[in-house]
Amino acid sequence: MNIWIAFITGLTAGGISCLAVQGGLLASSLASQLEQDLQPGRTSGPRPPQIARPILFFLLAKLIAHTLLGFLLGLLGSVLQLTAATRAVLLIAIGIFMVGNGLRMLNVHPIFRYFAFQPPSRITRFLRRRAKGGQASSLNAILLGALTIFIPCGVTQSMLALAIGTGSPWEGAAILFAFILGSSPIFFAAIYFAARLGAKLERVFIKVVAVVVLLLGLVSIENGLVLAGSPVSFSRLTRPLFAQLAPPIQPVPNPPANPLLDPADVEQALTPTPVPDGVITLNVLNSGYSPNSQIVPANEDFELHLITQKTYSCARAFVIPGLNIEVMLPETGSVAVDIPAQPAGTVLQYACSMGMYSGELVFK
Amino acid sequence: MIKKIFRIANMECPACALRLEGLEDDLPGIQQINASYHKQTLMVAFDETVIREAEIVAAVGKLGYTVRTE
Repeated sequence: MNIWIAFITGLTAGGISCLAVQGGLLASSLASQLEQDLQPGRTSGPRPPQIARPILFFLLAKLIAHTLLGFLLGLLGSVLQLTAATRAVLLIAIGIFMVGNGLRMLNVHPIFRYFAFQPPSRITRFLRRRAKGGQASSLNAILLGALTIFIPCGVTQSMLALAIGTGSPWEGAAILFAFILGSSPIFFAAIYFAARLGAKLERVFIKVVAVVVLLLGLVSIENGLVLAGSPVSFSRLTRPLFAQLAPPIQPVPNPPANPLLDPADVEQALTPTPVPDGVITLNVLNSGYSPNSQIVPANEDFELHLITQKTYSCARAFVIPGLNIEVMLPETGSVAVDIPAQPAGTVLQYACSMGMYSGELVFK
Repeated sequence: MIKKIFRIANMECPACALRLEGLEDDLPGIQQINASYHKQTLMVAFDETVIREAEIVAAVGKLGYTVRTE
């Protein structure tokens, strides 16, 4: 899901927000051709491939460099993610960073400017002079494209944070790949036609990106809270409401015998369920957990059977923060987790490892 | 040499600071330049026998930024 968001963010406004600097660098590098092209009275510019090729090489180098960076950041995230608690802290910190960046872009208060990093002058001076001093060769364009990782714009910085949060080198690489790929068409068009979007339109796009980044940040904070088993989270506070609106539970085909899985007995899930065989079943679906809230008997040990059936989402990475339980489930199968007896009134939160899907066991 | 700190009214992103720092390549007599997006300032050390303050302010204006007068 994050990969699509990254792609759409890049496509809609990622390219524009980075155009001011990176586009300027490339335009400087292509200066000789562009100047000829824009000379007053000139009727024919250079043949398209002469300008298109360096731009394409620039974008390709930028794509590869950012994908590698995403890989390294994901790797860094995986090293940091030792426990669900660490991951939760990381998600919340990333969320705060993104919310701060969103508020910065919306010009809410000057203090939010500190959420954006400004690259050191030494680096930007080197890049600028490299662009101006070099020939508009493909090699120079490739070098500049790769070096853009050192001058990330605000939206890119948020995507870098998101890559760390995935905790997976491949997912981190995929997010940066999707974002840069999405931003490339507008970048290419703007440079190729040597045209800039009007300042007003540019500002509207930036506001749209700001809102997207803000929402992504809030989602990240929410995921962190869920993963930490926090009693205060959007999904937990709204669960009773969604439970009423939710369609009947769709059972997994051929599930083990358990009254909770029968759609006709959904109401039964709202009352304490006797556990004659000491087993409670939870379906782990691609879209989350079903039922995502069930009342279980207090003061009794039982086994929680986690049933997967062609489940590929992160719901497979099952976490119960309160019991320090983390299990990676098979794509299809059943895994039993021992739940020790809990006093009445206890609510055990569980979630996927990214905090995107969650649910609870209520002991009565 | 004169060192002057200009307050910039509409530096809206870190990229603006980088664009402003590019003035050192376009103007003569600039010995040191440093733009801060966080502080919304542009510090310029320049040789007053080569370039006047008003010319720097005009160059900043050409880039689309406004120098705020105290």
